Amino acid sequence: MSEVFVNMGEISSAKSQGILTTVGLGSCIGVTLYDERAKVGVMGHIFLPRSRPNDHGAPPGKYADTGIPAMIDEAVRLGASKGRLQAKLAGGANLFPNLNLRSISIGQQNIDAVVQLLKQHGIPIIGQDVAGSHGRKMRFFVENGVVTVTAIGKEPVQI
Amino acid sequence: MNEMKLDFLRELANIGTGHATTALSQMLDGKLFQLVVPDAQMLPFTEAADYMGGLEKVVVGIFVVISGDVQGHMACLHPLESARTLIRLLTGEDKPEIDEMGRSALQELGNIMVTSFLNALSKMTNLLMMPSVPGLAIDMAGAVWESILAGAEVAGEVTVIRTRFSAEGEAIEGHIIFLPDEDDFNKIARQFGLEEH
Repeated sequence: MSEVFVNMGEISSAKSQGILTTVGLGSCIGVTLYDERAKVGVMGHIFLPRSRPNDHGAPPGKYADTGIPAMIDEAVRLGASKGRLQAKLAGGANLFPNLNLRSISIGQQNIDAVVQLLKQHGIPIIGQDVAGSHGRKMRFFVENGVVTVTAIGKEPVQI
Repeated sequence: MNEMKLDFLRELANIGTGHATTALSQMLDGKLFQLVVPDAQMLPFTEAADYMGGLEKVVVGIFVVISGDVQGHMACLHPLESARTLIRLLTGEDKPEIDEMGRSALQELGNIMVTSFLNALSKMTNLLMMPSVPGLAIDMAGAVWESILAGAEVAGEVTVIRTRFSAEGEAIEGHIIFLPDEDDFNKIARQFGLEEH
């Protein structure tokens, strides 16, 4: 089965089968959208919550506010129905908690932004493994919608 | 970023890492650190973690916030094996674990490297650069890397300085990332008499 690696800022999709994988989620957030009936899956690896006007030519998947709509469009393009999409999330950690860089960590800001955007689009979140202070690897099996999350020194979890 | 800026960053890195190496040698007295001339590369931000040897490889990352006349961030990344070698040299333990003591040894080493790097630049520029208490993460390279970039709000290209030390005949590898805020970078450049574009 083919496995596609989704790098920071990218969006990838598959239909019927295949694995979408993103490695090294730290403060970034990995998002999957899945239409079980159409067996369409889309994965994004989002870097920051809001796009910046001066970041010309940035791929839409880099920021939550441009990435979530782009992911929905991609799912619909492959034959998904927006109303049937369900989401799963992983990441949004704070790897340097003692630094207190911001009152709300970038990881948490990413989680908040994605949750808010999915809500606006009426897409339920049916599984998540987010926050904390460790990195994650997320694998999305498009044939059945299963998502596994692994982290160093931790038991893998299925969400 | 142009070639001149990269050259300039390389030069800063040479000065900074030279001082950091001396500081490390003093700390581990008798165990002379030798610095192989660092190599600086500018990479699109998505490729930099791969350059470190793969997204899933476990690395030790040290991250500090710089305040003072120059604001920004700085980070050091070491492959796990190099970090173990450093702990062994520091603590004298044969098979060091990355436990609480190992972590604090690494934090201390990071602190010394970053402080001496910044002190060297401060002296040359008369610009105050103070590091925060270092943050430490031991995790997948991809996760550490993107957390550093997001923390520093770097969204474009990034300059990574690859350093290689040797101590007691053992190679120690590391990557240093110096990320002054854009305006402050120009401040440093001006102090060195570099033209602005």
